[in-house]
Amino acid sequence: MIGMEKNRWPPGDLVIWIFIMAELLVFGVFFAAYAFTRAKHVELFDTYQLTLDRNAALINTVALITSSYFVVRAVAAIRNDDSRGCFRWLLAALGMGLLFLVVKGMEYQHHFSMGINLSTNTFYMFYLSLTFFHFLHVILGMIILLAVALKARSGGYSAAEHTGVETGASYWHMVDLVWMILFPLVYVMR
Amino acid sequence: MKYQSQKVAKLYFIAAIGLFVGQILFGLIIGAQYVWGDFLFPEIPFNVARMVHTNLLIVWLLFGFMGAAYYLVPEEAETDLVAPWLATLMFWIFLAAGAATILGYLLVPYSTLAELTKNDLLPTMGREFLEQPTITKLGIVVVALAFLANIGLTILKGRKTVINLVLLMGLTGLAVFFLFAFFNPVNIVWDKYYWWWVVHLWVEGVWELILGSILAFILIKTTGVDREVIEKWLYVIIAMTLITGIVGTGHHYYWIGTPEFWQWWGSIFSAMEPIPFFMMTVFAFNMVNKRRRNHPNKAAVLWALGTAVMAFLGAGVWGFLHTLAPVNYYTHGTQITAAHGHMAFYGAYVMIVLAIISYAMPLLRGREAANSNKSQVLEMWGFWLMTISIVFITLFLTAAGILQVYLQRFSDNPMPFMVVQEKVELFYVLRELTGFVFLAGLIVYIASFFVGSKEPEATVEGEVVATT
Amino acid sequence: MAQAFTKAMARNIFYGGTAFFFLLFLALTFQTHQVVPERDNHEAINEVVALGKKVWEENDCIGCHTLLGEGAYFAPELGNVYKRFGSTDAIKAFIASRPKDGVPGRRSMPQFNLSDEELTAVAEFLKYVSGINASNWPPSPQG
Repeated sequence: MIGMEKNRWPPGDLVIWIFIMAELLVFGVFFAAYAFTRAKHVELFDTYQLTLDRNAALINTVALITSSYFVVRAVAAIRNDDSRGCFRWLLAALGMGLLFLVVKGMEYQHHFSMGINLSTNTFYMFYLSLTFFHFLHVILGMIILLAVALKARSGGYSAAEHTGVETGASYWHMVDLVWMILFPLVYVMR
Repeated sequence: MKYQSQKVAKLYFIAAIGLFVGQILFGLIIGAQYVWGDFLFPEIPFNVARMVHTNLLIVWLLFGFMGAAYYLVPEEAETDLVAPWLATLMFWIFLAAGAATILGYLLVPYSTLAELTKNDLLPTMGREFLEQPTITKLGIVVVALAFLANIGLTILKGRKTVINLVLLMGLTGLAVFFLFAFFNPVNIVWDKYYWWWVVHLWVEGVWELILGSILAFILIKTTGVDREVIEKWLYVIIAMTLITGIVGTGHHYYWIGTPEFWQWWGSIFSAMEPIPFFMMTVFAFNMVNKRRRNHPNKAAVLWALGTAVMAFLGAGVWGFLHTLAPVNYYTHGTQITAAHGHMAFYGAYVMIVLAIISYAMPLLRGREAANSNKSQVLEMWGFWLMTISIVFITLFLTAAGILQVYLQRFSDNPMPFMVVQEKVELFYVLRELTGFVFLAGLIVYIASFFVGSKEPEATVEGEVVATT
Repeated sequence: MAQAFTKAMARNIFYGGTAFFFLLFLALTFQTHQVVPERDNHEAINEVVALGKKVWEENDCIGCHTLLGEGAYFAPELGNVYKRFGSTDAIKAFIASRPKDGVPGRRSMPQFNLSDEELTAVAEFLKYVSGINASNWPPSPQG
């Protein structure tokens, strides 16, 4: 049975995959809308893209990739029945998530202090909508990871039964994946 | 029927059907006024008849929801209602207030009604669907509170099932968002913005929780499928409903003075709104296919499947047709909206109320499980006549709407509104004729309550086909 | 043995998703409050306009007309009627001149017997609405 457990696909709870697909659909539509609109206003988008802080976004990219790695380690740990290891790796992932929020928060602080909002122009509408929607997902993902971490610490998971860890990990990878598309699309691509 | 107090639902269901008849008659009047502009003028002007048509719809659906709650909450909670007498009292108060309001619309000019009911003290009248005098609105709040207390305490006292909790959340949301009906600033942008918190967050939000829980109840009862499975589906569907529907409110914020980012947010999220309706269709058919027994009440199963399909078509497909901002720019406020409104309300809410009535009424009238075959056959005739009629009404209005959009807004030389109305008249004639077929269906439906009551109950023929 | 599809997970997503998207909706509403004052022509709101809105409501104008596309579809759009008619006087004259018994065979607006003050007010209200930035809607002056 345990062997079957490990090879079960998809990992985690099936419901979360329905919602991961739905979320990717929403982000996908948002990205497509961005691409089409950009094609119509290339100059506007290129001009205002330069006002974004690419270094901050790069730090955030690294932060999220690292956190995803930590989450992978957490899943590996619980598969070895190592609850404490799982808990620690999840805490590390949460730390990286927090770093993301702080850096992104500083970027927002910068934009807002210049009076930029959703109605400033089409580029900022997309930039703020996409990143803020993703930002909220990071927060939600962190809440999920925190819940999973706390349950792991109290020994709520085992090598035989750790659907919750896999579910949380799947969601977090989705949040990471969206940023991996968002970063080049909004910050880099010209 | 397992609990005595469920009986109070019968009153509510009878009132619902009675008011439904009134709604349809006034629908025929305004449909006729689209064809013969001076029909019943000036005795019953269009705005008065339309107000009666839409308000009766809302009131009878509320009667239906309350009846459904009084029927299924005790059964789910496995205990009697805490205060059946309160349910009966509130029924008469609500009915009297509703009747007085409708008579007020019909007997005196609307401005006189506003004066008589002291609208000046707290002006809330004269907004679409919220035309009721302020005092009636306060009455609705009182009735809603008493109702919520009654079923809430019953749920607390008894077994807490997912169906009961979701129903209670839906009904509580209904009451909470209704409070925005009392917010009416002079600034029309804010007036409209928060008006949608009643209208949209009702029909594309909390009402769908009510719809989902009633549908889940009927499916559990008629298919015998494991409660766990049905409750899981219910959670997934309502999660999807609110995830898409709350921000989907933005599809009403394109052209009312609200900022343009709503065109993106509203389009993207409301484009997802068909998903939960589609899931509901898949869910209903899946459960019926996996049924562990054949329920003798075939009519109720038909209504349940019908509501899943028609809600998807009306709310999902017809909603999607004009929800994207670039399309809505042309279709906003045309007969396209009317077409969508008719099929969505019928499919999602009329049919779910008729479904629970179909399931519960035979039991409330002392049957073991179902009406006689004769009665059910007639009821199913009513189902098909009304459902096919609403499909055609929707198609005719859609045709009228497409023409209207082209002639009045899209062509090189846009024509004035009234000129265009005359050009699309044929479709109004067809709609009105179809309306009479709908009325015939309603008469057949009502007749089904009175025929075959002396005949034996329908029984299940054949063995249960266990499909996996 | 774990289930692939648990009720607890579905429930958590329902509660979490609802809270998440409701908060998002509130954030967008907050943002809307920041921007609407630049678009809503609130400078034009005064006591006359307020009375006009009351007249508009207490005669259930929305029961036949649309205003910025919302209402009934029996009579013309009025969000841009000020621009279509060109003046408040033209609006007043139209409302005041409706025949009491209608027009045989045709739709007709009822005669509401409004006082001159009320006529002025409702016309000023419609003028105020026409000044709202509705993102270039309606697409044609015909409404």
